[in-house]
Amino acid sequence: MAESSGTDPTVDSNVVENAAKDRTMIVVTVKTPKDKEEIAILEDSSVAQFKEEISKRFNAKLDQLVLIFAGKILKDGDTLNQHGIKDGLTVHLVIKTAPKATSGSTSQNSASSSGTPQANSSSSASSPVPNASTPPGTGPAIQPPNLLSGFGDLSSLSGMGMGSANFMELQQQMQRQLMSNPEMLSQIMDNPLVQNMMSNPDLMRQMIVTNPQMQQLMERNPEISHMLNNPELMRQTMELARNPAMMQEMMRNQDRALSNLESIPGGYNALRRMYTDIQEPMFSAAREQFGNNPFSALGGNLDSGVQPSRTENREPLPNPWGPPGTAPSESRGTGSSTTTSSNGGTAPSVSSLPNPLGINASGLGNGVFSSPGMQSLMQQISENPQLMQNMLSAPYMRSMMQSLAQNPDLASQGSNPSADVSPSQQQQQLMQQMLQMFAGGAVTPEVRFQQQLDQLSAMGFLNREANLQALIATGGDINAAIERLLGSQPS
Amino acid sequence: MEKNETTIYSVQLYIYDLSRGMARNLSPIMLGKQLDGIWHTAIVVYGDEFFFGGVGISSCSPGGTMLGSPDTVVELGNTEVTEEIFMDYLSSLGESTYRGDKYRLFEHNCNTFTNEVAQFLTGRKIPSYITDLPSEVLSTPFGQILRPILDSIHIAPPGGNVINGRPS
Repeated sequence: MAESSGTDPTVDSNVVENAAKDRTMIVVTVKTPKDKEEIAILEDSSVAQFKEEISKRFNAKLDQLVLIFAGKILKDGDTLNQHGIKDGLTVHLVIKTAPKATSGSTSQNSASSSGTPQANSSSSASSPVPNASTPPGTGPAIQPPNLLSGFGDLSSLSGMGMGSANFMELQQQMQRQLMSNPEMLSQIMDNPLVQNMMSNPDLMRQMIVTNPQMQQLMERNPEISHMLNNPELMRQTMELARNPAMMQEMMRNQDRALSNLESIPGGYNALRRMYTDIQEPMFSAAREQFGNNPFSALGGNLDSGVQPSRTENREPLPNPWGPPGTAPSESRGTGSSTTTSSNGGTAPSVSSLPNPLGINASGLGNGVFSSPGMQSLMQQISENPQLMQNMLSAPYMRSMMQSLAQNPDLASQGSNPSADVSPSQQQQQLMQQMLQMFAGGAVTPEVRFQQQLDQLSAMGFLNREANLQALIATGGDINAAIERLLGSQPS
Repeated sequence: MEKNETTIYSVQLYIYDLSRGMARNLSPIMLGKQLDGIWHTAIVVYGDEFFFGGVGISSCSPGGTMLGSPDTVVELGNTEVTEEIFMDYLSSLGESTYRGDKYRLFEHNCNTFTNEVAQFLTGRKIPSYITDLPSEVLSTPFGQILRPILDSIHIAPPGGNVINGRPS
């Protein structure tokens, strides 16, 4: 037919010819995941003819093309009319890459229903050795025993638990062995195969996820799975696990950041709460928290300063907005704070609470909702909706928020950590903290820390670069920044 | 029958309210208009749930994210697209317009993804009250104020596995 042999699908001669024969050209949009093209074709064409055009336009082979319209796959023998494809409509196109390779790679990476994750990871893993690095507190996960025998230098491990046909038991035995023999752990870590495997976050994650204990943990403590799903985080975690020196450094930073908390209003409370939280088992049931209305704990006010710390009295309903890290330094940018969450247990993690949204900008609720000031505000609001509207419609509100966000000093000035701060001041500060965390991306550190930078240079720290770095690392805390600067200078 | 060789798969839309009812109660106060929920959606097909978040396209077993069971399930219809073709399609999407870093809470979010996939699979769009949500929020003064803050939020409900077209 004329149109399929023509080099130009929209060439005029076609149109003339068709007009003469009373046939109409329609323009159909063909959409691939990456691309979109408009193709003009005769209304009564067959799908095969359509595919010809498409293969030319998209530079693909005919048998690679899969056309979908209204949920149906268009077969070569059908006509466009038959499927109701008219002018201006969109047809979806998938260009198959070499079929077998694609399905292989997708099954490797995705958790689609085909096959178990274990089968996938074992087929894709080039080095299915026991996984010795997982978030602390969990045992290592290993591959099915028959794969272990393939690796000579780890043959000592293959002797373990081989007799057990039960995978679960095998894992447990493995764990026990590792626990009892710390040497083994470092041996495993040094193995280049292991190193190689650990640099592949996807593989790691799959291995971790397939461990049923891990799955339980993930259920209870959702941010573990969140962490697992974040490849950046995984990579950092693995870096840490590989390098014990780095891990120590991390812990030290964390501890220092913790101490900064005290200087921030509401921070003392947070520290205390955090401590009691740590007292509880690391992965205590946060599950029921999740089901509750997050505000229910607010009214009850578990942390109003009455609760003595370091006692056995545990909060019946941990405040979902409560513990760690009100300090902006915890949640802001630097990878250190996010990775320490994985070293966690003792450290406040970025999102150590059940976080239904998995929201990255964590720490939102920490100081904000649990302070007495904020709580009274919330109570007032719920009693009087008008109040909220008034608050928001006040013309200066917006500019106040912006200026608050730009002025990190507000928190460190004025009030002391103790409880007798006027509610409005506290509210302001807490709002500002919240805004700070979010607005962090919009405001450069230089601007944010302008005041601190000035102070530092007035004190005699003339290296502006270093000052800025220190301030960023400590989240604006001058004292900590000074410590940092002094620590790095030759004494 | 032309269909004797083609399998039909049913496609569903799982709708979750991220605010767990808070939006319904607080939205009149905070936004000045009634929003029944902050909607997160996912497509369920071939026995799996697929959604887009800050980490890219993820999948899990239906109702298997931290969000638990969906608030609403909508039948989108049927599709002839096979799982193999679909995974190809998702891989391509995951490499291009639906990479993790392309996530935008207001303009290019989970619901954008679901809408596109729904059209691919069935030719139908998802209910408009879901896709209208961002503009609804942005048309309020409070939404405007919070916009820079909200723009930096990436929603990524934990519990899924990320689908990558290439090793990360």
